[in-house]
Amino acid sequence: MPHQLTTCTFCGVGCGLYLETAEGRVSGAYPSLSHPTNRGRICLRGWHVHEVSGSPDRLLHPLIRRSRGFEEATWDEAVELIAERLRAIVMQHGPQAVAFLDSPRCSNEEAYLLQKLARAVVGTNNVDHGTGVYVHNSINVLLDMLGVPATTNPIGDLSLSDVILVDGVDLARQLPTVAGIVLRAKLDGARLIVVDSRRHRLAGHADVFLQIRPGTEATLYGAMARVIIDRGLEDRSFLKSRCGGFDAFLSATEHFDLLTAAEECGVPPEALEEAATLYAEAQAASLVYSTGLEARHEETIRAAVNLALLTGQIGRPGAGVYALTEHNNLQGVCDMGMLPDMLPGYRRVTDEEASARLGSLWQAELPREVGLSAREVLGGLGNGAIRGLWLGRYDPASTAFFGDAAWALQQCEFIVVQHLFMTETAAFADVILPTTAFGEETVTFTSTDRRIQVAEKVAAAPGATEPAWRHIVRVARALGAEWEYDGPADVMAEIGQAVPFYEAASYDNLRRDFGVQWPCTWQRPVGTPRLFADGSGEQHPFRLQPVRPPVPVPRSAEFPLTLVFGYSNYYWHKNVLIQHSETLKREYRILLLDYPEGFVEVNTEDARELSVRDGETIRVCSAGGCVEIAARVTDEVRRGAVFAPFFVKNVDQAIRGHAANGSPYVPVRIERIRP
Amino acid sequence: MKARIIAAEDVLCIIDLLREKGYAVVAPFRIHGSDTCFDVVNEANRHAATLHLPNPLYPPKRFVLPHIQRIMTLQRTSEGMRIEPTVAEQRLAVFGIRSCDVAGIGHLDRFYLDREYRDIYYHRLRQGLFLVNVACTVPGVDIGPDCFCVCTDTGPAARSGFDLQLVALGDRYLAVAGTPAGEALFASTIFRKATPEDVAARRLALANARRSFFHRTSWFAGAVRGVSAGKVSEETWEEIGNRCLECGGCTFVCPACTCFTVTDRLTGPDTYERVRVWDSCALAGFTRMAGGFNPRKAVHDRRNRRFFRKLSHYFVQRELSVACVGCGRCAAVCHGEIGMPTVVEMIRRGSVGEEAHAAA
Repeated sequence: MPHQLTTCTFCGVGCGLYLETAEGRVSGAYPSLSHPTNRGRICLRGWHVHEVSGSPDRLLHPLIRRSRGFEEATWDEAVELIAERLRAIVMQHGPQAVAFLDSPRCSNEEAYLLQKLARAVVGTNNVDHGTGVYVHNSINVLLDMLGVPATTNPIGDLSLSDVILVDGVDLARQLPTVAGIVLRAKLDGARLIVVDSRRHRLAGHADVFLQIRPGTEATLYGAMARVIIDRGLEDRSFLKSRCGGFDAFLSATEHFDLLTAAEECGVPPEALEEAATLYAEAQAASLVYSTGLEARHEETIRAAVNLALLTGQIGRPGAGVYALTEHNNLQGVCDMGMLPDMLPGYRRVTDEEASARLGSLWQAELPREVGLSAREVLGGLGNGAIRGLWLGRYDPASTAFFGDAAWALQQCEFIVVQHLFMTETAAFADVILPTTAFGEETVTFTSTDRRIQVAEKVAAAPGATEPAWRHIVRVARALGAEWEYDGPADVMAEIGQAVPFYEAASYDNLRRDFGVQWPCTWQRPVGTPRLFADGSGEQHPFRLQPVRPPVPVPRSAEFPLTLVFGYSNYYWHKNVLIQHSETLKREYRILLLDYPEGFVEVNTEDARELSVRDGETIRVCSAGGCVEIAARVTDEVRRGAVFAPFFVKNVDQAIRGHAANGSPYVPVRIERIRP
Repeated sequence: MKARIIAAEDVLCIIDLLREKGYAVVAPFRIHGSDTCFDVVNEANRHAATLHLPNPLYPPKRFVLPHIQRIMTLQRTSEGMRIEPTVAEQRLAVFGIRSCDVAGIGHLDRFYLDREYRDIYYHRLRQGLFLVNVACTVPGVDIGPDCFCVCTDTGPAARSGFDLQLVALGDRYLAVAGTPAGEALFASTIFRKATPEDVAARRLALANARRSFFHRTSWFAGAVRGVSAGKVSEETWEEIGNRCLECGGCTFVCPACTCFTVTDRLTGPDTYERVRVWDSCALAGFTRMAGGFNPRKAVHDRRNRRFFRKLSHYFVQRELSVACVGCGRCAAVCHGEIGMPTVVEMIRRGSVGEEAHAAA
């Protein structure tokens, strides 16, 4: 059928859209009016998905590196070589010498099979996805405090909230569909609180905009909790019946003080107070934060989730916690267990019972020690421990947030890359397996609000390309595993056995309407739009966690400014999909054309004091080193903060060095080069 | 204009007549939920074609101005570049096109055909197009919550621009021919003579339809006045701009929007294709010049461009109407609720010197 409902694969929102095909090619794309998430809206990216799959730069055949460079090979040759080399590495150095990393854009089927290949066939827990470092914080905190590591309510629910708190995410540029729902809720009378060091598009609409000093969110939320308690605005009955840990939380919160916190965060105390009372007094309030790079330490997320629990703003229509995933299948990839410490379904690899259950499903003895994370693998290949590396649609050489992934890749003995295009990373590969693109394969993705959706095949795959999950099956079989999957629906059926909350997520069920939100079980085959909505279950399913006031970041005279790393709107142009769509390439490259060598953002007032002009090359120095880079002078960034987009890698490296500790905040000073 | 009567159960036979005449026919179908689309009719789906459905969001303008269209191929040879235009032709009938979309194609015609330069790609696709217009008469189905064609004077029944027009009269349709090609269909025995009572019934049906629009009064005249005289306050434009998330959706779904961009892409080692794709004035790259200067850098500067183009007197005079056909699609796709009806209202309220008028 020429008009096929599918799901957009750019970001984690999972908008429903239709693809139109003509003569076997995707000829157009437009949003679904009935889809419960986007209801007729999509962003610029969605309007242009059809430009991508027609790209002439696609890899069409498996490639093997030979002495003269890459040469085309058959699938059998490529798969045999992979099996042979992996076997040799495992034989000589053990299974821990191999790591499997994929991208949060991989399908559920792909992610599930890749970690199964690693765990059940090779025998290692060295599996991770490229955005692990920060997302793990969110997963751990939510698992601990809510018991479920995911957004609690459907995205459409935001229109039912009368107060929305948006923390640390530039929704308008990163997840525009969500920004639109928030904006329309605001136009309909909801109150909007924005917490961010950047004045992004949505901040202009906020009733309360807390432009805080970078990295002080935990202090802010702690102080908000104190205000709520002091005024008696906590939800007593909710705390009594559903939430544990109140006493410890209370005594930790007593250490916060409104005026000190406001001073530390750099916001007016009245604004902090107003935000706290608005949120606590709302009929239904939503808390929206990003699990992406701009999310931060566990302590911050804990402090934010504490607010939701303290005020009972969870488990009701319009009241929920939104841990937004910025990549289209970040949620699904985590659900599938592409994590070094967790099996499918978020059971610890050290959990004997879970390990035995999956082991019997997979007919293998599963490794029980926690594996290496992507950061450990790419930030030095685990000190030379990793010799074989599998990269599923992951391009760390151009996107990683770690020091120098390219250097790490050079050290590796054998690299398999699955991708659509010859990426910077693929250039390091020994074998490249060409994958099918969006619209050329039938697979499932799980959106940020737990909606499992089928992305349908509408066009023939070019050349010898195959769905990435098939590559994994081929290699597993070549390694001696007896894997039989006729199609992606078979893989999904097995996922249903491995992941309890995907139990009833068969393709037939997923296609019936607009996907299904997990938990999707035999008792609840239509899924669960709102978690915790029935109020049943154990006595205290939630847990408040004490958060003490963090030690204030010392402000030195030598390094008076704070360098913040993040995505904001400058991320997408590195995306291969964007790079292969004409309109999107034009739109997302504009800033790069204006600042061809990259830039850091400096506040207008700070720039005036330092006599720095827009576009001028400045020197940014930290205790770790200095870098010369153009300044983009803008009001979007807060006074005292310097914002560095992640793609400007020389800043990352020079300032933080190879041994980056992952802190997104670094004290710096700015120097003019020409006085 | 000649009129005939056709029984409601025979109305899909018009599709067969057109296919017999060598037209590929697209018709409205329901796809998923309340989503609908114009899709090519074949043997398998012919029975499912449905005349009265919510108007498809993806506009039928793409049949003459495709979302993406190859316009030439280029090949590097030893003698230099060899350039081959690829001008597509078609014989296509759109069965069930709404009056707003008919008016939209009228706008495209004026832009692409009626000026100094005649666009050959558009012209070739347009030449083979046959339009069977259906008047919107069923509240809640044809006439959606965002429809406002009664305000732009383009509906619920088109006055011109169609080959054949159908107006539902209960168990029958009154068919009116707009062109000789449309009239030629009346040779078929499925059509019978219309009586003066049928014509009166048509008038009544349309009057009833007009009354069932949610938006029945619009303030286009005031908006045209405000925009043309520069009376819209900067704050109003800024508010409109602040609510724009720069998706481009409003221009892509607009039946009257004409803008495209042209880009070359590699198809082989020495071959390129030049494609044109829909472009949007909402996007920063639309007006950015080589060298980096952008005359419309701020979002609200870009957004007001859209409404200047559609509402300013200069264009209204040239095109004899506002460049809006009242389909309501821009309202349906907009993240920030700045579709045309809202903006006209905001302009009315936010025009300098118009407050007294608004208050009264």
